[in-house]
Amino acid sequence: MKKFDHEVIFCIVNAGFTDTVMDAAREAGAGGGTVIHARGTANSEAEKAFGIVVQPEKEVVMIIVKSEIRDAVLHALYKSVGLNTAGQGIAFSLPVDSVVGLSEFPKKTDEAADNK
Amino acid sequence: MDENEIKSEKKPKKSPQRRQEQKPTPPKLKVLFLIIPRQRAELYAALLQSYGINASLILSADGTASSEMLERIGLSDSDKAVVVGVVREDNSASALKFLEEKFSTVKNGRGIAFTVPMSSVIGVAAYRFLSDQK
Repeated sequence: MKKFDHEVIFCIVNAGFTDTVMDAAREAGAGGGTVIHARGTANSEAEKAFGIVVQPEKEVVMIIVKSEIRDAVLHALYKSVGLNTAGQGIAFSLPVDSVVGLSEFPKKTDEAADNK
Repeated sequence: MDENEIKSEKKPKKSPQRRQEQKPTPPKLKVLFLIIPRQRAELYAALLQSYGINASLILSADGTASSEMLERIGLSDSDKAVVVGVVREDNSASALKFLEEKFSTVKNGRGIAFTVPMSSVIGVAAYRFLSDQK
């Protein structure tokens, strides 16, 4: 199977938890991220049953990382904004087969390696 | 040696004439993500059309990089857009190369682009539209 150099991590969290996500991701060696505002659609039946409408505001944080640090970043996200925390986050990664425009990454990974 | 043996064992039976005339596997698709300053989103979405990306989705987003990092990579604005499009595999390398060049030549147009392999798509019309094949 083809080896991928980079992976993109998508982390879906409750609105307002982007900073927590990024702090954890940076700690694990990630560079920057991009936040997309979104709205969750889960539990619509429960909403009907209780007669209340909750607008579940979400934020999706996209972070491109080197494949080597993917697991470390996912673990960090699981610990800080996992489903059993207030952030109620879900994180997953997709393989990136090619990427252009990244320039700041190598330095950051070196720093992360030094910290370990 | 072993491999050859296995291959010869697996040789398919002679199939009917119609089967042999089957067209080659259709090209695969990739999802292209483009993260750029928000004011350049429309421009980049239009530029992508020349690479067979018939439709793209523009999402408003914000960058999270610290100001120190922003200065280092020459960005000063955290208002971003994510452009999502679908590109045919054989077009993706040239599209990315083109984007890389645009990142350094378009004023305030610096960004990141990457592709993710698409594993499946349903519907012939949808596939033809996404792969830009008439």
